[in-house]
Amino acid sequence: MSTALPEGTYGRQTWAIVVAAYRELNARKLFWLSLALSGIIVVAIAGLGLDDEGISVFGWTFESPFFNATVVPPATFYKLLFTNLGVEWWLGLGSTVLALVSTAGIIPDLVSGGAIDMMLSRPIGRGRLFLTKWMTGLLFTSLQVFVFTGACFLVIGIRGGSWEPSLFLAVPLVVLFYSYLFAFCALVGLLTRSTVASLLLTMVFWFLVFGVQSGEALTNWGRTASAMEIASYEGEILRREAENPKDPFIEGLLEERDAQAEDDATWRLVHNCFMGVMAPLPKTGETLELLERLLVDRSGIEAPERERRGEGVFGSNRVRNREVRDEIDRQAVGRSLWWTIGTSVLFEVAVLASCVWVFRRRDF
Amino acid sequence: MNDTSVIDLRNVRKTYKGRIEALRGVDLAVGAGEVFGLLGPNGAGKSTIVKIMMTVVRASAGDGTVLGKPLGDKGALSRVGYLPEHHRFPAYLTGRQVVDFFGALAGMPRAERRARTEAMLDLVRMRDWADRRLGTYSKGMQQRVGLAASLVNDPRLVVLDEPTDGVDPVGRKEIRDLLLRLRGEGRTIFVNSHLLSEIEMVCDRVAIMVQGRVWAQGTIDDLTRSSKRFEITMRGAAPEWAVGLGALREDGASTTVALQVADAADAQPVIDRLRAHGVVIERAVPVRESLEDLFIRAVTDPSSGGTLNPGALRHRPSAPPPPIEVAS
Repeated sequence: MSTALPEGTYGRQTWAIVVAAYRELNARKLFWLSLALSGIIVVAIAGLGLDDEGISVFGWTFESPFFNATVVPPATFYKLLFTNLGVEWWLGLGSTVLALVSTAGIIPDLVSGGAIDMMLSRPIGRGRLFLTKWMTGLLFTSLQVFVFTGACFLVIGIRGGSWEPSLFLAVPLVVLFYSYLFAFCALVGLLTRSTVASLLLTMVFWFLVFGVQSGEALTNWGRTASAMEIASYEGEILRREAENPKDPFIEGLLEERDAQAEDDATWRLVHNCFMGVMAPLPKTGETLELLERLLVDRSGIEAPERERRGEGVFGSNRVRNREVRDEIDRQAVGRSLWWTIGTSVLFEVAVLASCVWVFRRRDF
Repeated sequence: MNDTSVIDLRNVRKTYKGRIEALRGVDLAVGAGEVFGLLGPNGAGKSTIVKIMMTVVRASAGDGTVLGKPLGDKGALSRVGYLPEHHRFPAYLTGRQVVDFFGALAGMPRAERRARTEAMLDLVRMRDWADRRLGTYSKGMQQRVGLAASLVNDPRLVVLDEPTDGVDPVGRKEIRDLLLRLRGEGRTIFVNSHLLSEIEMVCDRVAIMVQGRVWAQGTIDDLTRSSKRFEITMRGAAPEWAVGLGALREDGASTTVALQVADAADAQPVIDRLRAHGVVIERAVPVRESLEDLFIRAVTDPSSGGTLNPGALRHRPSAPPPPIEVAS
């Protein structure tokens, strides 16, 4: 019969591991470097301004009839800077790389000889120990995103005149995005016990996920454009048949439509393949894009027109790129949270379950 | 199972991947309040035994109890202090933070933990250095902090794997004194060490492991009793009739004969006979095998006289020497 532990033991153990993780972060120069870079980016965002004349950069005004406060409201301008520059590029790429470099060693350090012995000899379950250590790895990103978002919240409020609490949705979403990668990183770290291997393989995994997502986006463009072309052909064929059933162009249009249908079948096949590969993988890009979608819903940010992956490759006289893009945007909005977050979290849970299974069974 | 045993292992086996047999059926019992030393050459399975007790490694077969509870019982682990060999604490923590951290992992409430942390830092004489990061500590200082961390939870059982490793002679003496003090407080101490002299000085009982088995266990007195002999050193060569009495050792102008007798009274007839033949007796002393001699005997192949391959092997060309009989 097992002996009961003193009341509050679980809480004390968890808190001790979290506090130790915070101290570890505090001792890491990369953490402070990352925060300093966040500060520079916030200052840069704050240094930009819009007035009726044009855009100002740290006090110097560059006149522009196309880009000024009468065209884009300052609050929208800052929010766009936050989502596109701050979240997509800094938090989604730069800060994530720094976070991975900083935290890739957490699990290899945990399972290294001499360190793990004393931890396992304490009255803490292996599964709980592993998952608590894993969660402390998210501390780096959580603090970075929270500080960055808080600073941007102030900048948008003071400089843009719009106080937007929904910006803080960036915190859970970016941490969630990072957690997909860190789960994989933890698995590699556990299996190899090597910080370098876990970092490099996580980067490779991230790149592969990006590649699959890009492939899916590209083939989706092709598929959508193709489907719209066929619809356009069919519309014209129906119109011509209604006007003159013996129209000599109808046969040519039918041939072109059939040729397009063959292309369409190929696009569908390739796209379905990409979707099949992508389905169980974490949706890193879509998770971050979700922030933009949520901010559009909640704070009225209108995303400016911008180049998308695949744009320019497709389109014809029948279907304009803009129309394809609008359709793609509609599809993106139509994708459910289950697809974006649910499948990603499933992936994460599966990876973490594998980690716990390995960790519980391993001799150290 | 012995009701008074703090550690009781029965037929514990461990086979690692590649069919490497680290433990081949270990039975071990450690009583309450004693200092128990586990000896053995490298690879004999000592650390594996410790790791199985501390749930770092899982046994392939067998069972056992620690503090009367099955191996791995969390409540029992909360009353155990463990300092592994080559321990590695986070370099970014201070000595005080390390001790406090392991107290918290043992589930100690904050106030009690703080008081115990200070007391343990005092005990290992590290209080003045307690606010410096471990990265700045010497090996000896890290060992002291490790001891404090292993004792912070007021353990009933303290398991130390090579506790004097990397510690200077003064530090070793302090650790020995600490072990005796802990025994005086009624704690049970399990020490795993290569240093036979250290073990001999502090341990009440020892076990010697060879090739994944316990070759012998008992008090040092019990283990060496069978090796008791009486050595007579005489001037010049030994008379012819004395050659068959025992092992002879010539040392320059004198000769020593080792009589296999346990009591001095049994040696008197031989002394009388030597004196009757005019032999000058220089010295007559009872001699007992040292722990080191016993250890060497344990790792010596009785058939070839060479040293046994001490550790775990996939294939075992030779069997370990038969265990010695120990009077209970």
